[in-house]
Parts: sequence; C-alpha cells; structure tokens
Amino acid sequence: MPPKRKATVSARGVGSAKRLASGTATPRSRSIGSSDEYTEDGEYGNGSEADGPPPAEERRRVSNIQKAVKAMSVENLKSRGKGPTKSKHEATASIGFSNLSYLDLKPDHEKRPLWVDAKTDKIILENFSPFASRAKDFLTTIAEPLSRPAYLHEYRLTSNSLYAAISVGLEAEDIVDTLDKFSKTPLPEETRNFIMNSSKAYGKLKKVLKNSKYYLETPENSILQELVQDAVISAHLVSSSKDIITEKAVKKGPAVIPGTREAAGLIQQVDRQNNAQSDGGPSGHANDAGAGKDDEMFLATLREEDDDEDEDQKHIHSVEILRDSASLERVIERCWEMGYPVLEEYDHENDEKNATLDINTTSKTRLRDYQETSLRKMFGNSRARSGMIVLPCGAGKTLVGVAAACTIKKGTLVLCTSSMSVVQWRQEFLKWSNIDPDDIAIFTAESKQKFSRSTGIIVSTYSMVTQTRSRSYDAQKMMDFMTEREWGLMILDEVHVVPASIFRKVTGQLYTHCKLGLTATLLREDDKISDLNLLVGPKLYEANWMELSQQGHIATVQCAEVWCPMTTEFYQEYLREKSRKRGLLYVMNPRKFQACQFLIDYHEKRGDKTIVFSDNVYALQSYAKKLKKFFIYGGTGQVERMRVLENFQHSEVVNTIFLSKIGDTSLDLPEATCLIQISSHYGSRRQEAQRLGRILRAKRRNDEGFNAFFYSLVSKDTQEMYYSAKRQAFLVDQGYAFKVISHLNGIENLPGLAYSTAAERRELLQDVMLQNEESWGVEQIQDDLFSGRSAHPKGKVTALAKKGPKRTAGMLSDLSGAQDMAYIEYNKSRNKELKVQTKHNPLFRKIERDREKRKAARLEQLKEVRSMR
Amino acid sequence: MPKASKGVLVECDPAIKAIILKIDQEKNEYIVEDLDDTHLMVKDSKVQALKAKLDEELKNAVSYPDEDDDSDRG
Amino acid sequence: MDYLESLQGVTKNQLYKQPSTVLAVFRRMQSHLAKNLVMALLYMGRPIAVADLDSWVRPDSIKEREITVVQLERLAILSVVSNPGKPKAYSLTKTFANSLRLALTGGGNHLSFGVPCSDPYGDPISIEDLDEYAREQWESVLGYMVGNPWKPTGSKGVELSEAVTNLLAFGELITIQSKGRKAQITQKGFAFLLQDVNAQIWEILMLYLNRSADLRMERVEVLSFLFMLGSLELGQSYGKSNLTQTQTLMVGDLTEFGIILDDESSPVFYPTRLATTLTSDSGALRSAISSTTVEAGTPGFIVLETNYRIYAYTSSALQISILQLFSNLKVRYPNMIAGKISRDSVRRAVAQGITADQIISFLDTHAHPQMRKTNPVLPPTVVDQIRLWQIEGERMKTTQGYLFREFEDWQEYDRTVKYAKDIGVLEWKNDSKWLFFVHKHEQLASFVKADKARRAAEGR
Repeated sequence: MPPKRKATVSARGVGSAKRLASGTATPRSRSIGSSDEYTEDGEYGNGSEADGPPPAEERRRVSNIQKAVKAMSVENLKSRGKGPTKSKHEATASIGFSNLSYLDLKPDHEKRPLWVDAKTDKIILENFSPFASRAKDFLTTIAEPLSRPAYLHEYRLTSNSLYAAISVGLEAEDIVDTLDKFSKTPLPEETRNFIMNSSKAYGKLKKVLKNSKYYLETPENSILQELVQDAVISAHLVSSSKDIITEKAVKKGPAVIPGTREAAGLIQQVDRQNNAQSDGGPSGHANDAGAGKDDEMFLATLREEDDDEDEDQKHIHSVEILRDSASLERVIERCWEMGYPVLEEYDHENDEKNATLDINTTSKTRLRDYQETSLRKMFGNSRARSGMIVLPCGAGKTLVGVAAACTIKKGTLVLCTSSMSVVQWRQEFLKWSNIDPDDIAIFTAESKQKFSRSTGIIVSTYSMVTQTRSRSYDAQKMMDFMTEREWGLMILDEVHVVPASIFRKVTGQLYTHCKLGLTATLLREDDKISDLNLLVGPKLYEANWMELSQQGHIATVQCAEVWCPMTTEFYQEYLREKSRKRGLLYVMNPRKFQACQFLIDYHEKRGDKTIVFSDNVYALQSYAKKLKKFFIYGGTGQVERMRVLENFQHSEVVNTIFLSKIGDTSLDLPEATCLIQISSHYGSRRQEAQRLGRILRAKRRNDEGFNAFFYSLVSKDTQEMYYSAKRQAFLVDQGYAFKVISHLNGIENLPGLAYSTAAERRELLQDVMLQNEESWGVEQIQDDLFSGRSAHPKGKVTALAKKGPKRTAGMLSDLSGAQDMAYIEYNKSRNKELKVQTKHNPLFRKIERDREKRKAARLEQLKEVRSMR
Repeated sequence: MPKASKGVLVECDPAIKAIILKIDQEKNEYIVEDLDDTHLMVKDSKVQALKAKLDEELKNAVSYPDEDDDSDRG
Repeated sequence: MDYLESLQGVTKNQLYKQPSTVLAVFRRMQSHLAKNLVMALLYMGRPIAVADLDSWVRPDSIKEREITVVQLERLAILSVVSNPGKPKAYSLTKTFANSLRLALTGGGNHLSFGVPCSDPYGDPISIEDLDEYAREQWESVLGYMVGNPWKPTGSKGVELSEAVTNLLAFGELITIQSKGRKAQITQKGFAFLLQDVNAQIWEILMLYLNRSADLRMERVEVLSFLFMLGSLELGQSYGKSNLTQTQTLMVGDLTEFGIILDDESSPVFYPTRLATTLTSDSGALRSAISSTTVEAGTPGFIVLETNYRIYAYTSSALQISILQLFSNLKVRYPNMIAGKISRDSVRRAVAQGITADQIISFLDTHAHPQMRKTNPVLPPTVVDQIRLWQIEGERMKTTQGYLFREFEDWQEYDRTVKYAKDIGVLEWKNDSKWLFFVHKHEQLASFVKADKARRAAEGR
C-alpha cells in the first residue's frame, strides 16, 4: 500500500478563506454595446436586410458612425477613470468560466435580486425575488435586455443603454446607487466607474429646433467651448453665432400624457408623484404590500433630476448649426466622436411659434400600463425626447404613437412602410383621438391631400417623401408644403426596416422637433442599429413579450420545430450540390411537404386560419398549387392580393393562405391563428420575430385556453437546422420554448398524402433539379405586401387606391363573383366549373390576361421583380 | 440452394443512407447490398472506416452555431 | 449483505467471532421480521420448530417469513437443527448468537468495538473539524472522478494517492488517462455520483473489499474492521495498538476517503461521520454533509430555463464540476454559477458515457424549489432536446450476421424466414426480394439442408 500522507487538521486548512489569490488579468476586448449585440457573422451572405450594398458614400458614413460609437466604447470610458483598473479576475482559461466567487455577499443578499459582472457588464436578475419587479423596471431603463425567460433574466449595460437611461432623465449617481442597492454583492468598482464616466458625457448636449434653426444646447459652457473649437464642428456652424448664446433655463414638471389614468383624474396627486419617481412601470404597483421601508430605500434613488435644479436656475448655452442636412449630421456625428452624444428634446409646451393642434385622446381611450410606461420615458421633464419604443406586434404601437401626438399637440408627420399602413394609421388616429378628419391627411401616390387649417397630421410612406426622381407636379407641391413648415412630432413606423439613407433624407428635408421610432424588434443582422441611435435617438423602452402574453395583451403561442427527414434521393442531391441550390432541395423535401400538408389539414379541421410562409417563390407556388391553396407573392397583382386577403378574413372559403416574404411585416390579419414556416431568410432572428408577430394579435387571444401555433418546418441534417437554431435565438431568450417534433403522429394515415410513392418523389426531384438559379434562393424583393407602388403599372394602383381604404364587409359582396380567383388561376381541376360564373366579370378577364402573361414568362417576371428594387 | 453471405446489416434513416451511398460511390468498397430505404449490408471489415467517414460527412453537411463564447443571443 | 452471503461458511464463522461485526450485520438487516426473529431466538435458548415459527407471523406474511428465513440461512445466522424424530427446527448459529449477546450486553474482553483512547494524544479534535475534514476528503475524491480541473478552494489541494485512483478505476467508475492521471468518468461512475453519500461509501468499501483480495489482505480482518467502524463513536479517538497489520494499513487507506482521520505519527485515529453512520440507517450524515455533497433529499439548487441557460445556486466545487460535465459554465458568483446547456456540451457528456437520462434525472432531482412549483418541473422542450442530442450521435445501427438469398421458390423462402423468426435470429427481411438477414446462421443452415432433403423426399 502507498505511503501515508501527513494529515493533520490544521494542515487541511479547515475553514480557510475561499478567496483565491488574484491571478493575472487576461487581456480581453470589450464589446461595444449594441452594435455588437445585434451583429452576426454574416457568413451566409444575403444578410442585407433592408437594401443592397451601400454605395460608397453610404459606406463611408457607416464607418464614421462606427468610429463614433467606438469612441464611446466601454474601454475608453473606463480608462478615463482612475487610470487602468487592476483587475481582480483570475485567469479563466483553466477553469473555463469567469470566477467571481471572491466577491463578498451582502448579509441580506437573499433579498436583493441582482448579480453584476463587471467584466462583461452583464446583470443577472432573480425574477422570483420580492424586489424583482422594481429591479426590472429599473433595468429596462438602464440596460439592454438579453434574455427574459421564467426565473432568471439577463441584461447588459452598454454605452447605448446608459445613454438612453440618462436621456430619459436618470442621473449617473442614481443609477450607481440603485444598482448597488439591488445587487447581492457590492457594486464592482469598474462598473461604478463605467457608469459615472458615462454621465460626464451623456445627456449634457441637446439639439433643439427653434424658428426652423437647429441649435446645440448645453448647460455646461465648457463643453460648448470645446466643441466650437473643434475644426469639424465649427465648419458647420453659422458663422455669426460662434459667439455662444446664453439664456436662463426654464424648468417644469413632467408632462401629462392624455389617456393615462392620472390624466383622467383617477389618481391623486401623491400617487402621481410616486409614479413619476418609479417611472411608473406596469408592475410598479404590484409588490408594494409588505415591502415597507426597503421600498422607500429603493425608490428614493429612482427619483428624477427635477427637484435639485430648481434652485440654482441654470443657464443654457447654445450655438446654431448650418441649415443643411449634411452639416447637421456631421455635427451630431462629431459630437458622438468627441464623447458627447446629442439628445433631441422638444419643449412643446413653450413652443408658441407653431400652432397648437386640437387633438386629444377620446374619453374611452385607456393606455395599458406598459404603453403608459413607454410614454413616460418619452415625456420626462415636460419635454418630448426623440427615441425609439419597442413593443411586440399586436401590443398597440399605433396607440402609443397617437398618444404621443396627443401629448405634443403640434403638427405631426407619420411615415410608414406601405400605403396600406398609411390608411390604417389614419383610421387609428380617428379611432383613438378626437381629431377632426379634415386635420389628418394622406400623402401617397394615389392621394395628395393637405390639411386646410394652420396645422394638422400628414400620414405618408418613406418612399413618398424620399423619392427624388420623377415626382409629379402634385407630389412636388405636397413636398413643398411639408418642407416649408416645422413639425412637432415625426412618427417613424417599423423603424428597424428602413435603411439609414432613407432616414438621412427624411431628417434632412423635414424639420421636426421630435422623432419617435416604433418597432417590434430592434434586431438587425447587420450593424445598422447604432445608426438608428444616431439618426433617431436612443431606445426609450422595450417591452417584455412573455409578460404581455401572460397579461393577455398578446396571444399565447405554442412554438414547434418540426424535423423532416430528407429522403435518400433528395439528400444525395443535397450532398452533391455545393451551390445555393441546396436551399431549394431542403425546402422541397417531400417529407417537409407532407408535414406541411398534415399540419394544414389538422388545423383546418380545428377551425384555425393558417398562414404558410415561404421565402422561396418556387416552393411557395409548388406547395400552394399541389395543396390547392391560395397564395400571394411579389408578383401577385394588388386586386388579387386584396381579394385573397378579404376572403381569408371574412369567408370560410379560404382558411389557409401561402405568403411570401412580402407578408412578413405590416400585415394585419387578426383572424390568423396558426403559422407554418417552410422556407425562411437564412438565420434572420428578426424575420422569425416578425412572423411570430403575425399571430400575436389574434382576435381570439383572450378566449379561455386559446393558443396560437407557430410551426417551423426544418429538413433534418441540412443547413436549415443551423439556421433554425439561429433564428429562434431571439424568441427563445424572450421566453418562448420551441418544442421539437421529430415525428407527426398519424401522418402516414393522412388520406391523399402527397409524394407517398417513390415514383412521385422522383418526379418531384427531377422537377426541382431542372429549376434554374432564379428559383434557388429566397424572394429577392424589398417590398412589403402593399407597397406595390413601383411594382405595378399605374392602372392597377389606382384600382387599389379606390378599394384599399375600404376594407369593409361591403367589399366582400363586390368581389364575391370572383372570390375564387386564385383557385381558378392555379387549380386546374376546378377551373371549368368556375369559368361560367366568372366570365361575366370584366375584372376577371383582366386578371386572366395577366395570368396568361405571367404563365408565358415566369422567368421574365422574376427578373421584373428583381428590377423593382 | 439459398446462399448466406457474411456481413453487417446497417439500419439508418434515409439521409444517413444517402451519405453512405455517397461514400461508397468512390470505390464501391463498402456496400455489399442495398436492401431498402433504411437498410444496407456492408462489408464486415469496413464498418469502422464507414462510421468515421460518416461522422466526417455529417459535419460537412451541417454546421452548428459555434459555442457561444460570449455571444449573448447565440 | 449480498457480499456477506457470498462468503464461505468458514469465513463467516470467523467474522461472527467479532461482536462488532455481528452487531453491524444485525443493524443492517432490512426487515423488522428478521430482527425480531433473531432477538426471539437469541433468548429462547432452544431451537424452534417450523410450525411454531409459522404461528408467530400472520398468515398473510408467510411468504415474507420464508424469504427472511432463507436469507438468514444464507447469512449463516440461522441453521436447521436436524434432530431425528422431531419436526424441522431452527436455531441461531452458535458463534453469531454468542457474539450478538456480547455486543448487546457489552460483556467480554474482545476489543471489538475499538479501544477508546482516554488520553486524547494532543488536542482533541472537534466534531466540526472532523466533518469539515471528511467533507473535504470525500469531495476531492468525487471531484477527481468528474475530472475536477482545479483544487478545492482554500486547501493546498488534496493530492489523491494512486491507491484511491486505482480503486476507482478498478470499480470502473472512471478510466484513467495515462497522461497526468486525469480521470474520465464512466456511465457507471455518473450513476455512482447520483447516489446518496451512504450508498456511495458502501460501494467504495465493497470495492475496497473486493480489491483487498488482490492485494493479499486478510479478508476477515478487512471485513471485521469495516463493521467495527460502524459501531465507533464520533468525536472519540481510538487506539491503533490492537489493530492487525492489515487493519493498520486500512486506517491509512480509509483516511484518504475521509472515513477516518489519522496521523501516521499518532497512536490514535478518529472515525469521521462517514464511518460512524455506516451501519446505522439514520440520516445524520446527510444533514452534516448535504450542503456540499451531491445526494438525493437535499433542497434543489438548479434552475433550468427554456432558453437552455442553467443557473445553479451552489458554491460547491464538486457540484460545479458535475455541472461542467454536461454544460458550459460562464460565470461563477459567490453563491451561484451560470451557464448554458448546448448541443456540444451534451454531446461531450454523451461521448464520455453519460446518458441523456442521467443528465435529466440529475437536473430533476436537484431542481430549485422555484421550479418545483410547475409541473413538469423541467422545461419539456429542453428535456426533449437533451434526449435528441443524444440520439443524434446514434445514427447508424449495425448488426453482424448473414444475408440469405437466392431461394429457389417462395415456399422455400417463406419457410426459412419463418423458422428464422421463430428461433429469434431474424433481423430484417424483404418478402418481395426474397431476402433476409439473421445474426446467427448455424441452426438455419441445418434447417435449410433438412428442408431440402425433406422436399426432395416428398418430391419423389
């Protein structure tokens, strides 16, 4: 036996300290906030989400912005502190994780909900802690939510998120104190420095619009002095005003937002203040009972800056910027580079130059808690701040926009992605507010109205206001009308899909005091999110999907990933192919087709309305035709689109429709309760979230036990599995759980199951292999469903313009004669029986002609579709 | 008189079979008999080599997201 | 007990000379019936007839009685007294009865319960220190098994001797990589980890016992020392002077596991709680070590989210090492460690022989009370996925055997394939191609020949 060891108790170090000796710090690169957050490796190409590769000028700008953002990187900020901080972290290489176990736990750590990691700036929140809801309100203000499932949430402090926090009125000291109070361990010095240093730079500089002139404004003269001496900035200033203008600052309490309970007088003064202090989060009131003194402790630090500054009436110093869009942007960019991100604020209550718009929410309009919270972030100290509000689809973004307009009460511009959305926005304004219908006008290709009185609302599309060539006389007059005046508020709908170049044009041409960007998700697979921060403003609020779902504001969704094995023949070809044709093989996998057929059948029998999404047009058509279902893609005419959608919504004839990528956004189909995805845009998390959004507003969402369904059909052992995992990442971190279904029970027994014989499958494979490059990938089209403006000859568009706005039941009867149009077009077996019926309809003959044309040259058309871009 | 030949029965799903067919294509040194969609008979001596090649091919066919070193949404 | 049963009669007899052994065996008896039976017989002083025995138990428990008797017989505790002319009767074996009487009354001068040392030789060691020591030793053994990549915090690092690592390898709980003697846990080893400490210690001791034969140690001495351990008192030091040479060696070996605390230079040793609770069925040991050791019955500490993130409220190096077997840990706080379960981490575990079910059962057993509020406890999507990740590695099933083909006609094929099926060797068949595959062919070959001959005869 081996020799015995010396073993005495003392040598064993009983009860010795757990603290590890400090090792050497591993050098590491700091990520730079959201630009890193939203970037992907982009190896699967085609990641351009919004437009093609940027022109040279665009690229230069992008890189400038990146430089600017980098200048604000965490590393820089931290090193601005007390010189290089000596890291306590031990080298992690040997143990594979970062070890912070040397931190001391506070004695009452169990009551405190947070852990803070100074190394990654990540914060973990215990969602079951008694103070979780308060901590969550606080964290959504100061940090970027990373994951929010059931028990533990993760957030990250980034320079962008702190910028947003400070711009909504928090002060660095408050952030540090509150974070420390919520934290189980004393707040790490590094984190403290990071936040404190941010405050020096953030929130001190504002861009304001006065009398159609833009000014840089700050309470600290020294900052302005520094800026004025900068060569780049001074080059873009109005020369005469290099002398700094100084005036006394005016301070006021928070603005009253119409539609909130306080506005309705339901809450008393005391409560009101409380609300303002805690930023009035939806759950802010939830856990009050029993929290007692600790509550006070936590709350006190959340107070906004209001009180302190009243006494020493501060002075405001400002300089005027040259009035052209390039100068404006360059100055703002340069300020970022110099570490002074610019805020945009609008003192709408004291704006006497611009006429006040008579608008208020109707007495019936009630904002939901989270809508109220988001607006509080926007209206803090009686001013309106520019920024973005992120709410999932179906959570009432439009109402937030309407309420913002009702608060500012000045001329308002609304820009949307499609003419259909334009119509919807106007309707929503009329529904939620008391605005005079004459005061709200539409500017689209078909309609160029103005408001008659001194101020009002104009709803338009991004493309209308940015189009440069071949503008009609009417349109030009309309543009002149819009560019001549100052606007109080500009609402930017679906702000994440619009390329930065468009924003530049928009902000360059139109003078607006305040910009509000609305979106369901700020995800972009490229790094354009930091552009948005610069061009629109910080993210003011981001809702928690799971919470809204639990509260019944959006539908509960069952998500599933259905694994479809590849057949031997298809997989052999897949292995042989190296090109993008692989994509077609996994989409057209007969087993996937069968799964799709089975699910459609199952959900139709349940009474669900199903949308099947396919990015690939060849697959879309093949599936839809074989299954005898209606479909819409980029090449489908407007009239036909409308007809199919009408029927889907209001008739039993159409329970399943196939949509291409054009249906991803801004399509409001509350009847839909089931989604099946057969082909997608690679690993796009945004598309996944957007598609899920199509069923979140399901009409039946509040029925007892109602579930919507979201299926993603994936061919096993192919690249699709990889993309699928990527795509789900965002939703999974929101708390959605994707169930893997590796076998659909009973699929073998489905009557009429397609491709059940080897011969049929071979035939399909042959057909697939014959397809040329055009059919391989996803639909190359940037349109959404209704922005057919440039895609179709004028005549068609006019037809839509007449019918578009009237999405009423009356329309159904108009169209009933031709409601089976898509059937006729694509389903040969039923063609004959419907011909007699439809011959009389002149509209049909027109469509028929179109169909012939399409049939004759599908390839031509695909090229056409491409050229539409 | 029926014949009996020695070998290894491979049971797998159709996709794996496709890979094995592909591997065999080069020199036809693995497969004795293609039995049906999910079965093959291969040479006794080649089973280990086949397994190794299969793993390799599978890796090529699908790549999975890298282990999320520090990517948060990964 | 099973081990005990397997011993030769002589060995058992030798063992039973030690009152401590007998007491330990008595205490470990599973059924109350057995205990009652033994106690009754002990003081009856004469054999009892089978019929009388039956009258002791309720009629519906006759079966239980029989099992008990058989078991006691196998343990050589009970023996049949054959007395011609009289009915079959049982009595306790003499050695066992004597020893048990001694153990219970405390009589005799056998030193079987160890020699308590009244002079504590230096400062006495507190129970707390003993517990801490036992915990640390035992954890480092388990930690080593899971490939513990770093030394337990605070200590200078517990170096395990080759005797320990070899024993673990001997028991197939780990495999040892020649380079650096790093351990790789086996499926059996992972199952071992999932047991409670008491069962773990017993398993280790059984391994020790089995291996002691290879090392030419006196088995009876080993066994009686082990039984003696269970009867010692926590916090009391015991003299080493009366131990045999084998037993002195054992003191050293068991020290490595934290079962005993011993200093070579000292004339005394201390049993730890791991030893003193060996033969008792009390959970005393559990509560003492539960906060740091993996076992059933402790409050859960793991939160598993639907996004595959895992948060474990623990500061135990051992638990962290176990988690690290199947997850990627990211950051460790003083009271919690966060990580993520991924395809790679699960496949890595599977490659080491840990099954998806073991991972799931570990997560389930140790789920945080917050998770227990829901049913099912673990997110089903994650559970499914872990299983699927395991299956992913099992894409190809291979069976060695023979392919039968070229049958002359359908009847010949049909009869043969049916026969193959009947004798359970058929693996696959295709009725349209007249092909089938079997994993054994000898019987079939003769069947085919016989069939051929028979048909030839018929045809004539």
